[in-house]
Amino acid sequence: MINITLKVNGEERALSLPATRTLLAALRNDMKLTGSKNACNQGVCGACTVLLDGVPVNACLVLAANVAGREIVTIEGLGEGGKLSPMQQAFVDAGAIQCGFCMSGMIVSATAFLAENPKPSRKEIRQALSGNLCRCSGYVRVIDAVELAAGRSGA
Amino acid sequence: MEFHQPTTLDDALTLLAADPEALPLAGGATLVAMLNAELIEPSALVSLGGICELHTIEATPEGGLRLGAMLSHATLASEARLTGGNAVMRQAAAQIAHPAVRNIGTLGGAVAHGDPSSDLPAALVAADAVIEVAGPSGRRSIAAEGFFEDYLTTALEEGEMVAAVILPPQPESAVGHYEKFARVHGDYATLSVAVVLAMASGKCSHVRIALGAAGATPVRVVAAEARLIGSSLDAGAISEAAALLTAASDPVDDVRGSADYRLMLVPRLLTRALAAAGGAP
Repeated sequence: MINITLKVNGEERALSLPATRTLLAALRNDMKLTGSKNACNQGVCGACTVLLDGVPVNACLVLAANVAGREIVTIEGLGEGGKLSPMQQAFVDAGAIQCGFCMSGMIVSATAFLAENPKPSRKEIRQALSGNLCRCSGYVRVIDAVELAAGRSGA
Repeated sequence: MEFHQPTTLDDALTLLAADPEALPLAGGATLVAMLNAELIEPSALVSLGGICELHTIEATPEGGLRLGAMLSHATLASEARLTGGNAVMRQAAAQIAHPAVRNIGTLGGAVAHGDPSSDLPAALVAADAVIEVAGPSGRRSIAAEGFFEDYLTTALEEGEMVAAVILPPQPESAVGHYEKFARVHGDYATLSVAVVLAMASGKCSHVRIALGAAGATPVRVVAAEARLIGSSLDAGAISEAAALLTAASDPVDDVRGSADYRLMLVPRLLTRALAAAGGAP
């Protein structure tokens, strides 16, 4: 077992885990932060996307022991004081959510993308979210939601 | 499983030499996916993340660039010094998978994996890059063209790893372009064409071409380049060059396209790539 600390959603977390434990498994099983979803476990679907030192990564492709001491933000850490983040609110308002399983990854990816590109075209939004699969295939309103969030932040 | 986090390349090599079942861990984009799928069961992992030397980009005395193996695809995709002919590397890195994967995956990891459908191998061959390999008996340099030996098989020997990629200075007016065809954004290429092209007075003065996903390794045909050099890149010259490249290709049939379909793409993508690199009439 390896002893590490991670800063998760602003909080220092001490963990003891095997070397092969992914960040996703550490978040979900050790820290009970189940917002990040485990679907493909291969870096294909994007449902596990979290921010590692501010940039989106597939938590299933990262070994927790390999990111000791670094800062993680999950879907649970995006909002402040019990309120939804602007991107979360835009997804709700645009009706972007069907079954909801891919939403945390979508919203984390979109949050990082908009910080980098505050006025994206729809094509740029589609490309930025191309690593986040929705098996309900409800992509149109997801793109609407990111556009809505971009418009609001620019207002 | 043991987990090592050395801070020098020598320490990493010593750890790998001491345990033949240990594997070096770069970004993890491929290795951790294979662990998750229980395809590999290494006795130990040697993380390369803490080795400063592997994260650097520096100019070489010859006027090229030395890229450390642990640079992420995202870093390469935004590297301003990858200009001119070497822009082919920046463009290829920018088209690997999706943003979250590009933030994890590394240059050295992709090179060592040697997947002919991935984006960097063809770009490296077109750029005439040299792979700097570090191992128990020191360092050696291998031209990218000879490094990729077969499907997922490279010239790396037991205990060796990729330390850096060296890009040569390209001809002054050279333009690099990576033309990737995939049905879905971010997927592996159905076929790709990497070119480094220089034109002088309307004639091609330098060209290197490598195809991705066209065989077990990047496909380069010297005779195809020779057919283009000195030409104005007219349709006839491109068609003959494409025929030579097509004849040397041996793509697979898979979910991304049949072998025949891939071969059909060769002349079309070559024409696009040369035009994008400034060879358009």
